[in-house]
Formats: sequence, C-alpha cells, structure tokens
Amino acid sequence: MPELKIVGKPIPRHDAWEKAFGLTTYAADFSLPGMLYGKVLRSRYPSARIISIDTSKAERLSGVKAVLTAKDVPRNESVTRFGQTHAMGGGFEGLYRVLADKKVHFMGEPVALVAAETEEVAERALELIKIEYQPLSGVFDPLEAMNQDAPAVEEGKSNIITHYEVLKGNVEEGFSEADVIVENTYRVPFVDHAYLEPESGVAWIDENGVITIRVSTQVIEHFRGIADVLDLPHNRVRVIGTYVGGGFGGKEDITVESFLALLTFKTGRPVKLTYSREESILSHSKRHPYVMFYKTGAKKDGRLTALQAKLVSDAGAYVYLSPWVLLYSMVDAAGPYRIPHVRIDGYTVLTNNTFTSANRGFGAPQVCFAYESQMDELARRLEMDPREIRKKNYLEKGEALATGQILQHPVALRETTEMALEALGEKTPSSGRVRIGQGIASGMTSYGRMIFLHDTSRSHVSIEMDGSATIRAGVQDIGGGQASSLCQIVSEVLGVPLEDVKIYIADTALTPFAGTTTATRQLYMSGNATLMAAEEVRRTLLSKASEMLKIDPQRLDLVDREVVDVEGSGKSLPIKDVVKACASDGLPLYHIALFKAPFRNLTQFERIEGQVFPDFTFGTHGAEVAVDEETGRVQVLKLISCFDVGRAINRSSVEGQLEGGAIYGMGYGLTEEVVLDRGMTMTPSFSEYLLPTSMDVPDVQTILIESGEGAGPFGAKGVGEPSVCSVAPAISNAVQDAVGVRIYDLPLTPEKIIKAINQKRRD
Amino acid sequence: MTVKFIKKHSLKISVNGEWKKTEVAPGETLLYTLRERLGHTEVKEGCGKGDCGACAVLLDGKAVNACLTIALQANGQKVITLKGIGTPERPHPLQESFVKHGAIQCGFCTAGMIVSAKGLLGENPHPTRGEIRRAISGNLCRCTGYTKIVDAIEETAKKLRKQ
Amino acid sequence: MGNQGKEGIEKLEYFAPKTLSEALILKGKWKAVGTFIAGGTNVIPDMRAKGLRPEVLIDLSHLKNLSYIKEEKKKIRIGSLTRISELASSKVIQKCAPILSQAAYQLGNPLVRNRATIGGNLADASPAADTAVPLLVLEAVVVAESDGRKRRQIPIDQFFTGQNRTALRRGEMIKEIIFPKPNSNAKMGYSKLGLRNAMAVSVVSVAILIDMDGNRCRKARIGLGAVAPTPMRANRIEEILTGREITKGLIEDCSIEVMKEISPITDIRATEDYRRQMTSILLRRVIEQVTS
Repeated sequence: MPELKIVGKPIPRHDAWEKAFGLTTYAADFSLPGMLYGKVLRSRYPSARIISIDTSKAERLSGVKAVLTAKDVPRNESVTRFGQTHAMGGGFEGLYRVLADKKVHFMGEPVALVAAETEEVAERALELIKIEYQPLSGVFDPLEAMNQDAPAVEEGKSNIITHYEVLKGNVEEGFSEADVIVENTYRVPFVDHAYLEPESGVAWIDENGVITIRVSTQVIEHFRGIADVLDLPHNRVRVIGTYVGGGFGGKEDITVESFLALLTFKTGRPVKLTYSREESILSHSKRHPYVMFYKTGAKKDGRLTALQAKLVSDAGAYVYLSPWVLLYSMVDAAGPYRIPHVRIDGYTVLTNNTFTSANRGFGAPQVCFAYESQMDELARRLEMDPREIRKKNYLEKGEALATGQILQHPVALRETTEMALEALGEKTPSSGRVRIGQGIASGMTSYGRMIFLHDTSRSHVSIEMDGSATIRAGVQDIGGGQASSLCQIVSEVLGVPLEDVKIYIADTALTPFAGTTTATRQLYMSGNATLMAAEEVRRTLLSKASEMLKIDPQRLDLVDREVVDVEGSGKSLPIKDVVKACASDGLPLYHIALFKAPFRNLTQFERIEGQVFPDFTFGTHGAEVAVDEETGRVQVLKLISCFDVGRAINRSSVEGQLEGGAIYGMGYGLTEEVVLDRGMTMTPSFSEYLLPTSMDVPDVQTILIESGEGAGPFGAKGVGEPSVCSVAPAISNAVQDAVGVRIYDLPLTPEKIIKAINQKRRD
Repeated sequence: MTVKFIKKHSLKISVNGEWKKTEVAPGETLLYTLRERLGHTEVKEGCGKGDCGACAVLLDGKAVNACLTIALQANGQKVITLKGIGTPERPHPLQESFVKHGAIQCGFCTAGMIVSAKGLLGENPHPTRGEIRRAISGNLCRCTGYTKIVDAIEETAKKLRKQ
Repeated sequence: MGNQGKEGIEKLEYFAPKTLSEALILKGKWKAVGTFIAGGTNVIPDMRAKGLRPEVLIDLSHLKNLSYIKEEKKKIRIGSLTRISELASSKVIQKCAPILSQAAYQLGNPLVRNRATIGGNLADASPAADTAVPLLVLEAVVVAESDGRKRRQIPIDQFFTGQNRTALRRGEMIKEIIFPKPNSNAKMGYSKLGLRNAMAVSVVSVAILIDMDGNRCRKARIGLGAVAPTPMRANRIEEILTGREITKGLIEDCSIEVMKEISPITDIRATEDYRRQMTSILLRRVIEQVTS
C-alpha cells in the first residue's frame, strides 16, 4: 500500500478540540430570542380508543401559545417508504403517524403538543389536557400476535408485516447427513440506544418563510417527510444537523422534527423541544427483540451440514424499519459459514409494545448471538475446540453466503480468531467460588446500505485562494469522526495541512446530500465521494502546476502546502500560487463528486437471494470472564476485539469504534434490558436501565488487520456496527466455559446464571 | 387562569472565577441556572437525576451533579465548569490528553468526565487505573467504552506529576 | 400577580435556615408541607419520579456545625449533615467502624457521595439504605430534634417503621447519629450485592459485628438490607450464634435459617427467590470472612 501521510495516522479530530473546550453547540444548547418551549403529551395506555380530547383548559393557561392534536396536523398520516425513493413492495412501506388520532397503539405514543413561554407552563398545560380513553385489549408477544385471533394492532391489517425466506439445498437431506444436531431457542430483549444526549432541536421560520429545524439527527433527508406533514413544498423546510451526542440508530427516524415544525408553523415563533431521559426511554424506538428457533447439524469432523432457523421479531406498534432489520438478519442468520443446506424463515410482527427500529447492528447482533452460541454447542457435543470447528467452516473469498452472495474480498476470520485467542492468552486460574472462562465468537456485519436502494453520496471539495480547503457535505456527525475523516482525506490528497481544512456539514439548504449516517456507510460512501472530489481538484492543480513548472504531472505531488517534484529536481511551487493561476484562467477550483454504491435490482422479497450488501466486515471477539458461581455476577476480565478494518483512515477513531462497540455489545450481553410488562415500561430511567459504568468494564484490547480490501476510500471497511455484533455471544460462550451452563436469552443476568447452575445441579 | 408568580430569590455564585448574581426560582437546580440563566451550556443534561454525570461541576472543589443541587444551595459558593478548567488559549493537560488519546467521540459526556477527572487529580495525584475508573464511575459514556478516557487521565496524572 | 384560585397555583418557597433551631421552627411552622433538603440526592429524583411537588423547601445545607465525625472515649458521634464521601474517607470510621466506611464507599457513585448525607440516607429510609445496615449492627442511636419538644434518642432498630417511613415525628429532624465504639477485637464484615459495580442499588446487603470470646461468639449483630420493607436485624440468627462456637455447621445453619427470617419482594432488580438465596450466600460469606 502506498505510504500515506495523513490518512492512517491517529490524528486528533477537529471536533474533538471543540468538544474538549465545551464549545460545541449541541441541539439543546441553542436558543433564539422569543423562543417557546414545546412538550409532548403521551398515551397512558398501550392500546386504547381515544373517546375525546379537551384542550380548552390548556389553551387558556396564560403563557400557552399552541395546543395541537391530530386534527391540527395538515397531513397526520403518510405511508413512508422509509428512505427509498420508489415503491418497493415487500412490506417496506410503513405508516408514519405524527399524533395518535382515534386510537393509541403503544404506551408513550404522542397524542398532543404544546408550546408555551416556559417549560413549566408547558408542563402544566400538558396536565390540563383532558383525554378520555377507552382501554382496549392489546397484544404484547410477537408469537401470540401472529395468531389469527390476536387483536389487530393496526385496524384492518395483519399483525404480520412481512415474511422472508432463505432457501439453499434441502435441509431434510442436510440433517439426515448430520452426526449431531443441536436445536435451541434464543431470545434477545428490547434495548435502548441510551445516547447521553436526549433528543432535542430548535425550529424557527426564517426571513424567507422557510421552516428551519436545527436538530440532533442522523438523517437530514427527513426534511421531505416533514414538509409532507405540513403539506408544504420540500424546499420550504430546511434541516440543519448538529453534532450529535450519540445516535446509534435511535436518531435515524424522525424524532422531534415534526413536532417542532408544527409548533413553529402554528405559533410563528422559534420553539425548542428536548425530551427528558424518561420520555426518551419511554417513547423512542428500541432494538428489535427476537425469538430465534435454531437447528444446526454437523458431521463428526465438525463440518456443518444444515441450518434451519425461524426468526420472529417484535416490530412494536409501528412498522418503521422492521422489514429492513429483518432482511439484514436473514442475510446474516447463517453466519459466516459454509453450509450446504439452509432454510431460514423470518417474520416481523406488530404488537402494542414500543415501536422498534434501527439500533447499531441492525439485526446482525441478534442472530449472531444465536449462531455463535450454536457453534459452541456443536463444538461441545463433538468435543471439538471452538476455534477448530469454526475454522473448519469459515467462508473464504470467492465462496457464497446461504443467500448466494459471493464474498468478493478476503475473509479474515481465521486470522482474527487466532489473534483474538493469542491475545486472550492463558486462562487466569479460578479460585474459590469464582470460575474463570474464555470464549470467542465471530461475526459478519454488512457496511453500506442494501444495494437495491441506489445509495449515493455527494461531496463538494474546494480550494480557497490562499490554499486552504473547504468541504461541504451533508454528512451527519454522530461522534464517530464522520466529518473529520473527510478532512483527513482532503488533507492527504491536496497536501493541505489538516488545520487548514474546514468542513461544513449537514444542512439540507447548503450541503450536497451525503445520505444517512446509518448502516456504517458514511466513511464508505462519503469518504469515496470526498476522495473523488478531492482527486478532481488535485488533477486541476497538478495540470496547471505542470504547465508552470514544465514538469510532467506524473512527477508532481501535493505536500504540505506545496507542489513538489518527487524526482528530486528541487523545483516546487506554493499551492496558492497554482490556485491563483487557475483562477486567472477561469479553471474551476472545486469539484462536487457523486459516488454511487453498486446497484442490483431485487424484484421480489419473498425469497432473499443473491447480493444484498456491497460488502461485509469480519471479526472475532474474545472474552475472559470471572463468574461467581454462587451469586451469578459476571466480571469481564478481558475483552479482545480483532477486526479486518480494510484500512484505518484514523487509527485512533477506528480503535475508538471497536472499543466503544465492544462495551455497547457487553451491555447487551450482561445488563441491558428495557422491560415491558404488557406494554408498560418498567425501566424508566438510568437507575433501572443499567449501562456499563467504568468500573464494570475491562480495558478493551483492539487488534486491527488492514487487508486494504474494503470498498471504502483507501481500501477502508466500515466498523461502527460490526464492532458490536459478536460480543454478547463471546461472553455467553465464556460463561459456559466458566460454569458449564448456557443461557439462551439475553441479558445474562446473575439470576439467570444461578437458576441455570441450580438446574444443572438438579439434573 | 395563570401560574402564580413564583417568588424569585437572589443567587450569588462564582462561576469559573467570576462572581455572578442572578434571580432564581426556589426549586431550580444549579444545572438549570448554569445553562439557562448564566449561559454555561457546556454543562450538559443527560438524565436530570444523577444517574449519568453529564452535568458534573466542581462545587467548592468537589465534583458533584449539578442536577442534584438546588441552585440556592450553592449560594455564595464557587463553581467550576469545563470552561473553568481550560480554554483554547490555556488548555488544561486533561483536555489535551483527551484529544490526543481519542477519548472524545460524540463529546456529550466529556464536560462531566473532565470535571470528575479534575476532581480526582486534585485529591489524588497518583491514581491507579482502578482508582481512575472509580473516580469516573458516576460518568456514563456510551461511545468510547472508557478505555481511552482512562488512558488520557492516567497520562495527565503522570504529566502533572513531572511538572 | 394575584391568586387565581386553587387551580393553576404553583407555590414553591425556599428557606435556608442558618441554625438548627431556625430549621426546626420552619419545619414546625410548615409541617407536612415543608420538605427538608440536604444533599438533594433523594429529594430531587423523587420530585421527578413521584411528581412530588414540595411546597416549601427547607434547605439544611447551609447549617454549620452539623457536619462532623467525633471520636469520644466510648462513642462515635456523626453529625447528620456529614457527607457520605467524608464517612467513606474518615480515618476514624475506617479504624473504629470499617463496615460503615465500606458501605459509604459503595453508595451510589463519587458525585453522589460528595453531596448525599448520612442523615438524608437514614431519613429517606429506603429498604436498601446503604448506611442503615451497618448502623443497625453498630446499635446506633438517632438523635432527633424538634422545635419545642424534647430531644429524642431513637435506637436505630426502632427508627425504620416501614418502606420510606421513619419514627421521626412531624417537625423533627435528625441532628446526629451516635454509636458505641465497638470492642477493639470485635469482628466486622460488610457485603453488598448489586447488579453493577457502581451506581447500584443493593439487591441484598449484609453487615455483621461479632464479639468473640475465644472461639465462642459472645455477641452477634446481623444487619440486612433490601430484603424487607425496612433495613432489619436478623434477630433469630443472632440468637443462634450467641454463646456458640462458630463452626462450619453453625454457619451453614444460619445461612439456611436467615432465609426464613426475611421478607424480600420481587422488583425490577431481582426476584424474591434470588434475594432469599443471596441473603443466605452473603451471610455465610461474611461470617466466614470475619471468623477466618
């Protein structure tokens, strides 16, 4: 790989300095004169008819400027295609309802909006809104909801949103060839994104009558949906994305934007709306719970012969991204393994629970928990080393997934497994009641969106008269260095020091659309677009410099504000002189590039076949745990994260993603669960919803392999979501190793472990 | 119908070395006062009830949750926020170290985290990694997994000891 | 601005008494409507969760002279406004009553410990109150003051009367907590089980104090938290141990008996069953630890 000067170095990010000094203006930090405060009134029942709403007292309260219900929303309901621009079928359309109208479908569903002079008055107004509810029966278990006679969550519609199938070979034949068959049911719960920054935004009407929303979001493209809600032309709504205090998929759907737009439109004044933490946990999207029935067969020597799985995900009360999440799961459900016979059936089902949608991993972590637990169970039955059984079955470059997608690039699973195990080292000796165990798990997670979506990204790169550089890109920065990586790329390509590169992001009026910050796609898509744009500007500069220096452009490079002759003639020019010459000659000193992801049309979605994703990131997690066999408490002593990252544009950022993802996955494995009891949230705050604290986690060890084989700029692969996927099963496998019990449902609470240990003693 | 006028009290506090006087409502938290009345939006609200540490400030030298302190309880006292610890003109080694180590991703926990770290280093110039983890155990971070934060604080402690 | 009638009225008043008697006069005047606030680490979250709208806040944090840890010849006296962080780091407590400093050390998180007070922890009277369990075992006395009435000394095992309820009468405030200095050869142990290593409400907590006479137990005090409506003493277990030689068999018996003495509930953190089992485990471990 060519020696790079800026790319690949652990350079401090520009936004990191601002954050270190407390200068970053997050959504809730912004205010305007005359600003009102918005609040949302939410449903107190998971399933009920709204008989009447009386807002009169609230409206009369001094200081209240607007009270809105469904009847006040110009277009309260729309069928959203959740991101794609053309009709797809396959259950990809979902009802987006701004405010509950005749019924409420989940507890926390928004019913009314208030804007008032102060937060206190707004809260008081909420209390004065009188709603008469008639509670209805609801359904809270997706398996139950699949039954014909279950109450319909959305009247007149089946609770089953969609069903997919993956079919390869003949599983009956495959199982008949197996020497051992392992069959288990796995369950994973609702979890919360738990970003430290609650949802927030400020909206106002600018001097041109444009509804402007400055909001913490992963998707500024929602401006179109918001305009539709207001029944306004799309160019009358502008979304400005702030630096986001954590997204993880929870700020991927519309959160506060519609409410802000409605309240500012109605009052004519700026409005701020910030969720409380309790409101956030209650009402924003959750990760899909899954019930996963897995049956895996293998020969004595460990070769897999068949895998059959049925996946049922809980979509909650609204469709949102459920069909997509399930689709990801379908592609990933067999794991990165060579299996001749596969049958997977997937269902996503409406219930009266909180709606579920994107969460880091998007359907991959759920199935990884299942397939990596299965691999270890097979290993145990066959008395094989968990590493050996995996190495026997890992897919290699050129081989196909069960769906038929061929892996075009090297699959570094063997290497990552070996390196993770080496880093784990000798098992710490057990002592007394504390048993030590080690476990590994491998994962495959896609990066880049599904290829039938015509995904694109645009980036505008320009060089200023004084040789500094500016990037304009619609990129939403959610903390993963999305913006700063683009600066690094431009700095590398144009020879402009990083401190002279400025980036403007996330403004639907002023920055070219870069697409969503989701699906681990920004570095891949916007990185490539920025690279293309920067290279075009570079060509212009080198061509002019070549004229000026009378040296072949092949011999020229841009380094540290200068054009230099790499063949050592000593001739050079300051870049800004070349820029001025270009300007005099009317040559463009900017380029806007469009990067298109590969496209393949999927015409049907009943059976998932062929290529669905551009590429995957492969890696292995290794965990060493100490399990107290009397209390069930688990302490993770070592956590190794080993990934082929393609190319680390910013090494420090990549490590940061892997470390953060490992702990995100650890919380999923050990302590996190949003407990819903018949639709009621029993874990309302961070006192009940338990995130890992600094005292609960080990130093995460990251090992990077750089194969250079990624589809991103300089051969980079995406790591944001892949970093989470296989942590929970690695820990679960380690617990099995420590105390000899397997837990089939997350999180692995101390109680579950003790129950399993006691059960084992009885057997 | 109105909300009755709530009697305002006079509050005098020093924020980052400057004495400020403002009127506050009786039940108003220090977090509210700092953010909404005194413009210190670097102090963040993550949960409002002491579960996350995003609002940590130094109150008379001790790291506390501003959301759990009624503003009037801080009457006559000295508050230090992130901006009182260091600025672009005079960065504190903690800030430099956090940036250098990649200990800042989304940045929302950073203000509270650096305050807790400052509180620690003020009391214990030789913290072990375990002691560092304990000192920041009231500050949740969802992005970094804490490893680089601990690295940054550890390195700062070493650096400060050399000075 | 005028009073518009009952609805829509927000009344919130705040007082910062400078002396104890001022505080007591205020409480006497405002009665149930007046809420003491010290560290704020319970009052403020309660205001959020339970929608408590205290009409009058009586801020105790400016009272001087109520934050102290005094070692006397036979007693330790702790002012009610002593911060939990002070308790945790106090050399006196670490020396004389390490179970109290250990409990303080594990309460909440460092930011909370810098504000929370021992008086507040007791007055909140959570069944899982961290400092309550060692104080029960130390046979502490809660000194309550009120305006106009005599100072009362409430033995801590009579202090907690129900979940979040105490024996404090209307108008009373905790002034200090006193306990006799344990014997220099008393054996003490504390253990807290939570679902995380920090910011964890106890699932079960255990404190013990045993006075040995050779290898016989002369006196035993066992405190348990989070397994009954209030922090409690395990009197039956104390009886079993008193006067006996502490053998493996006896410890085993105690760990079984204790499960019958408690009345844990199932809540979001743990089931009743798990709490029962863990009480047994923790008790056994702590007794083993102090007698080894």
